[in-house]
Amino acid sequence: MGNCFKRSTTDDISLLRGSDSVREPSSDPVGPPSYQEALSVQSSPPIYHPSPSLTQSATQLSEEEQIRIAKRIGLIQHLPTGKYDGSKKIRECVICMGDFMVGDALRYLPCMHTYHMTCIDGWLMRRLTCPSCIEPVDAALLTSYETN
Amino acid sequence: MSEPQSALLLRKQLAELNKNPVEGFSAGLIDDNDIYRWEVLIIGPPDTLYEGGFFKCHLYFPKEYPLRPPKMKFVTEIWHPNIEKNGDVCISILHEPGDDKFGYEKASERWLPVHTVETILISVISMLADPNDESPANVDAAKEWRESYTEFKRKVARCVRKSQEQEEC
Ligand SMILES: [Zn+2]
Ligand SMILES: [Zn+2]
Repeated sequence: MGNCFKRSTTDDISLLRGSDSVREPSSDPVGPPSYQEALSVQSSPPIYHPSPSLTQSATQLSEEEQIRIAKRIGLIQHLPTGKYDGSKKIRECVICMGDFMVGDALRYLPCMHTYHMTCIDGWLMRRLTCPSCIEPVDAALLTSYETN
Repeated sequence: MSEPQSALLLRKQLAELNKNPVEGFSAGLIDDNDIYRWEVLIIGPPDTLYEGGFFKCHLYFPKEYPLRPPKMKFVTEIWHPNIEKNGDVCISILHEPGDDKFGYEKASERWLPVHTVETILISVISMLADPNDESPANVDAAKEWRESYTEFKRKVARCVRKSQEQEEC
């Protein structure tokens, strides 16, 4: 721990992530930037919010970025989903620390960890690992998807 | 207007820490109206050079928490290889997420959305006890820590003393 090298980030969504500056208390009536829009709106070009004050449409990103984001969204959408049925085996989403409610949309990762779809999808856009067990989210699936 | 998830999550953690305080630090808000900016008092861990000190830190959470990590800054002066001279904490679990294509950091040492104020503070307290001099934030402190430990100890002791005086007023 503790290493603080300065490096250029390879974050797939570095363009979307916006400034590293921390939110000012008074700013942002819009709400947190959301990659959900990218995942749910498939017909029109997705809109991104690189920072609270700046809205950027996908067309303003470089072509390479757009392709990477599209691939990532495609991959995430290949992961199984479901609705919470009240099962006793899983109860809580460790990302939002909230209990699952019957009917909540869930996403199942290959390692068998389960999260709210809204909670995990935003994370997977940033990093393809399970937050609980740090298992990579199926590199094999990613490779096969990318070569298609 | 409903609160964003990040605010709810932070509020939950604050309530939990108030109800069940964790040994080694106490946590609250800088301003009661802003759940995104925390003030934490770290008690210098026993059996380390920092023992007896009271170190005030600020944590600044982004609205995208827990998908993105907070930034952390020591407000009380401190001398440590992994803390910049201006107080910024450089610890790998607080680095922005991103797919690691180089593998120079273990995945488990990177930011994950399951990190809470408590787990962050536990990491920072263990960093105080056990500095990492591979990629220091304060190069002078790291050099002293390696090469002139007596001088390093002297500087840390001065910070500890100062922190005690500040807590008294
Ligand atoms: Zn959740
Ligand atoms: Zn997992």
